[in-house]
Amino acid sequence: MLKVTEAPAYFARYREIIPDFEKFLAHLREPLPLYFRLNELKAPDPEVVLAGLARQGVKAEAVPGFPHFYRVEPRDFPLGNTEEYYLGYIYPMTLSSALPVIALEPKPGEYILDMCAAPGSKTTQIAQVAEDKAVIVANDRRLDRLTALVANLKRLGVACALTTLYRGEVFPFGVPFDKVLVDAPCSGEGRYREGYEGELLYQKEGHTNLPAIQKGLLVRAFDLVKVGGIVVYSTCTFNPEENEMVVDYLLRKRQAEIVPCTYPLPHHPGVTEWEGRPLHPDLQKTARFYPHETQAVGFFVAKIKRLF
Amino acid sequence: MGRRKKIHKEAKWPRVVSLEEREEVLSFWEERFGIPKETFQDYLLLSTAKNYWLFIAPPDLRPLQNLKVQTVGLLFTRRVSRWLKPTSTALQRFGHLATKNVLELSPSELDRLRREKRLPFEAEMEEGYVIIKCEGKVWGCGLYAQGKLISFLP
Repeated sequence: MLKVTEAPAYFARYREIIPDFEKFLAHLREPLPLYFRLNELKAPDPEVVLAGLARQGVKAEAVPGFPHFYRVEPRDFPLGNTEEYYLGYIYPMTLSSALPVIALEPKPGEYILDMCAAPGSKTTQIAQVAEDKAVIVANDRRLDRLTALVANLKRLGVACALTTLYRGEVFPFGVPFDKVLVDAPCSGEGRYREGYEGELLYQKEGHTNLPAIQKGLLVRAFDLVKVGGIVVYSTCTFNPEENEMVVDYLLRKRQAEIVPCTYPLPHHPGVTEWEGRPLHPDLQKTARFYPHETQAVGFFVAKIKRLF
Repeated sequence: MGRRKKIHKEAKWPRVVSLEEREEVLSFWEERFGIPKETFQDYLLLSTAKNYWLFIAPPDLRPLQNLKVQTVGLLFTRRVSRWLKPTSTALQRFGHLATKNVLELSPSELDRLRREKRLPFEAEMEEGYVIIKCEGKVWGCGLYAQGKLISFLP
């Protein structure tokens, strides 16, 4: 576990790319605000949900630019113990976690693969945005994680998803996917803050070669999507080796194009050089989100179109 | 653990039910709760053993049927001996559209029903499955019969 006193040394390698680096470090000592997404599939009248939460002392304020998202006070409120949670009216999630699905723009009638879906915040968000009318294949490679995903799909009342248990990098061909979301396993640096229980994944797992796994997932996602289709690649880490360099690998291997995207949170262009190595110039069309600017977990999002 | 049991590595694709079977299940929802059949027109009805699942009708089902699936769609209705029983999961999703056989309980009645599982109960309604509602929220399925209300809430 990385102590907050060790954070400056750990994150020092990003001094050049993280804006207002000192402010970023100071921000790691603050707790994150609490948000939830209101699930209109089950709660056609949001007022019933908001009034129920208000009776329990929860103040929920709509977040501009993020339909169905609310910021919660007090921020340590145990939303998971409420009947609104139990009945599937709300899904607590960090605000930046909504960004990959904003980039994906799911629509009714589309075949969509969520390659690393568990525990399902993004799968259920896709279902909600597409009004439960997209055909969602929600995949995860681990049975215990898939169990959590299935429970969340049931809790939120989603009827447009099926679940599968494949290793993403060998997901079978044959479904003409319009869109694929790769919310890749990552070191989780963007989640790091004082008192947060999540360790950094690659410290925990020692020898896991995350960039190799991420490249395998992204290339397979690209090969699974139709020509002209969209792949969204996202992580919650700052590390260019898990972000731009993974997308750079795809751009060199396949005929892909980065699609610019508008987001409702402040962000910065992806890096086009890392540790002396030049990367594809189009990577500046990817987006980096930093916790001290967004009040949410740090994120990286790339929207990619399959040209051929 | 019930939920775990549902997920197993050799799970098979559920079958798409015949038009007659679909008609039977959707007529039950319409007749019992007044929820029109058209509510489900965008969905397929699939079946595994005694369960019916609701799943969005894809442009083409065949490519999906080549996938080894763990679950497909939302558990909708069960066949219990010769009766059809709506699941709480499905009622929580579609129950707000019901026009009849909805039981509005007070918070204390709901608490008691969840704790004791059955209550003596008198209501002006036909015996059978009912939708349990409290303060505008649908909680799920109950059974009203012989002066009792029996909980099928999860």
